[in-house]
Amino acid sequence: MSGGTAGDGTRPTVAAAPVVAAGLVLLIAFAAGCSEHPAGGEAQPPASRVAGAPGPPDRVALIRDQHLPNVELTTQEGRKVRFYDDLVKGKVVAINFMFATCRKACPAATQNLAEVQDALGDRMGRDVTLLSISLDPERDTPEVLRGYAQAHGAKPGWYFLTGKRDDIELLRRKLGAYELDPVLDADKTQHAGIVILGNEPRGRWKAIAALSKPVRIRQAIERTILPVTEWPTGEAVVNEAPYEESEASKRLVEPADLSGLPLRD
Amino acid sequence: MRLTRRDMLKLGIAVGGATVLPGGRLLADGGGQSGGLGSSPRTTPFVVELLPGRGIPPVAQPVAPFPTLPDPGNCVNVDGSTAFHVHGPRVVPANTEFFLMHERPVEHSFHPQLPPNVLWGYDGSIPGPTFIAKIGTPNLVRFVNDLPENDPVGIGEPITAIHRHGGFQAPEDDGYPIDTFCTGQSRDYLYPNILEGDLAQNAESTNWYHDHAIDITSMNVYRGLAGFYLFQTAIDTMNENDPPPALGLPSGEFDIGLVLQDRLFNEDGFLVYDSFDHNGFLGDKFLVNGIIQPFLRVARRKYRFRFLNGSSARVYQLFLSNGQPFVAIGKDSNLLEHPVTVKSFRLAPAERVEVVVDFSHSSLKDEIFLVNRLDQTDGRKPNGLVSPGTPLMKFVVSSNAADPSRVPDDLVLVTEGPEQLLPQVKVQRHFKFERSDGAWVINGDFFDENRISAKPRLGEPEIWILESGGGWVHPVHIHLSEFFLLSRDGVPLSPIERSRNDTVLIGGAGVGEAVKLLIRFNMFTGRYVFHCHNIEHEDMRMMAQFEVQP
Repeated sequence: MSGGTAGDGTRPTVAAAPVVAAGLVLLIAFAAGCSEHPAGGEAQPPASRVAGAPGPPDRVALIRDQHLPNVELTTQEGRKVRFYDDLVKGKVVAINFMFATCRKACPAATQNLAEVQDALGDRMGRDVTLLSISLDPERDTPEVLRGYAQAHGAKPGWYFLTGKRDDIELLRRKLGAYELDPVLDADKTQHAGIVILGNEPRGRWKAIAALSKPVRIRQAIERTILPVTEWPTGEAVVNEAPYEESEASKRLVEPADLSGLPLRD
Repeated sequence: MRLTRRDMLKLGIAVGGATVLPGGRLLADGGGQSGGLGSSPRTTPFVVELLPGRGIPPVAQPVAPFPTLPDPGNCVNVDGSTAFHVHGPRVVPANTEFFLMHERPVEHSFHPQLPPNVLWGYDGSIPGPTFIAKIGTPNLVRFVNDLPENDPVGIGEPITAIHRHGGFQAPEDDGYPIDTFCTGQSRDYLYPNILEGDLAQNAESTNWYHDHAIDITSMNVYRGLAGFYLFQTAIDTMNENDPPPALGLPSGEFDIGLVLQDRLFNEDGFLVYDSFDHNGFLGDKFLVNGIIQPFLRVARRKYRFRFLNGSSARVYQLFLSNGQPFVAIGKDSNLLEHPVTVKSFRLAPAERVEVVVDFSHSSLKDEIFLVNRLDQTDGRKPNGLVSPGTPLMKFVVSSNAADPSRVPDDLVLVTEGPEQLLPQVKVQRHFKFERSDGAWVINGDFFDENRISAKPRLGEPEIWILESGGGWVHPVHIHLSEFFLLSRDGVPLSPIERSRNDTVLIGGAGVGEAVKLLIRFNMFTGRYVFHCHNIEHEDMRMMAQFEVQP
């Protein structure tokens, strides 16, 4: 059953107006190329602090300074780029870490991103940039990555990136794609299989597991990080993944099996 | 007893605004850890008094009945989904009490040395107004989303769903994570306030309500969307003067909910949240009811404190600085069968522990600190007990007061417990909460609203085994019903958790990798979730759902 229908068989009467209104406010913010606080905070109560005192942090600047180092990377086409200035600034991005010889989670994750790319159609490169950063930069030369990109059908707007190991380590830490357990963290075959989604000008960032269903990743990109004008209306993408039932967790037990359990007093 | 400076240093109590930790390490007031985002500015502890309207939230007041509305079905979640439970107007019994609750921005002072911060509060209150429900009287609560669509702070998204945590309510009223309402919309929640399974033992005591929107719960709760939901029952009348069979527990101004949270601030004193940290966010400032390290004036008598851990990932182990024990009377939603006297207790995210503290043995002007001695520096697990720990708040014994309150030896009579239910069990389920490829899964899966992971039958008790792995702790919360904890893997159950729970910590030293619990779902059929209540893990989809079958 899809979630779009009312339980009593009628359509809900609440109109879509609020969502549309939200779109307009954000649209203005985007048109102004806003990297500052958008002007649309009308619901904000007046600040009662003295003039000249520091205000709330500029979230976009905060995230740029703390999480988006401007390290130099090289694309699969051999072009030198700066991570922040050239790949992230002003963009909507989906970022993952991979390496070409990875045989564990990477192929499935890359395949998922390829499906996302296809689903995004002509928004790829225009509205959304995919960044796949190599954890094996010495072996993953631009040529290797170009072959990998071609093998996965990468289109314009999907960058495969290599660079200095230290720079990539820095990126991995800053973007939250690391393991707290140092042994796991040092093992790149165990690397964090997450896709980091960001709308840089809005200062909105989240992550989703790379092995989530492609439809989930695409929906997350569409709703979380695309400009509001590109948001799905809801019904088109409502709960469209196939219905699944699994009772794999279930085991029938005989009451006799329970005799060993400690009873409370 | 008055503390000397040396006593205070021993206790790790801030002297001159900083805390001395064992080994001479100095941390800005309170300790803790803040990841890569620096540390919060210094604040002087114990300068703000908890008072009604400042840390002690107002009691939610009923309003005149209003016509109920159908559920909005078109609020688009951050993953593109829309509500699953979209029902027509609720049909409410004649004796229903109505409430109207606006989620709105509010300028809040965490501490006088920090600038005001714009938070999101239920009715603009931090914590939210306290509901006091009566068993047998349904509540219809309309939550209205008045949050700004384009919020400049950027912590939280104005997409909300309300979960009454520990509450017994229909699936459409449970805050199922995709059943959201957006800015300008509202949703009516019907809370029947009935006894689960018609059993007196299931009269609830302390629930809380908080945001539960898919993928963004951590930020929305961090921004302020949480409050208490209490119950007045046949025996827990919330009036200490009532004669038996009323319990006569401390009541009125002597019955106080205390929610513990940690927060991080930037150098200018503005709230910071790290949306790149999925391990579980930790702050370095300790809040009680929204105030950094407050104090509370108490009288020389008994108090009932309802402790709630409202933090994302931090686990607490609480002590009183004078060595005085707590008399525990409740865990999560229910009172215990009998009071239990403990020197300290653990409080994992979303857990509640109710205690009675008797200040009658103290002298006027005595100062007693509530101390957290569990050290934790990342979202994976606590590091272990430290001495002296961090003082979270100070009780100042300030007056004498009559004390007609009582703590009876028998609180709740459990008539259907493991003894009665275990022989009926036919189904055992095993759920593994694991770290997998940089995220967290239950039995290998991320939450997907279209996947049902278990189909328990109404009224048939089951054994569930919840297992952790890889050195992570997970506070697991099961919606709809409280469960009896039967055993922990190799670790004895604490006397507090041997009764009913709706949240249980699994994994790690002292906790055991796996727990075995007894659960039975009554009266309501349909879909409910269970999940890790380390809210960053929950937002990364460490959640699954069961569908109760008729």
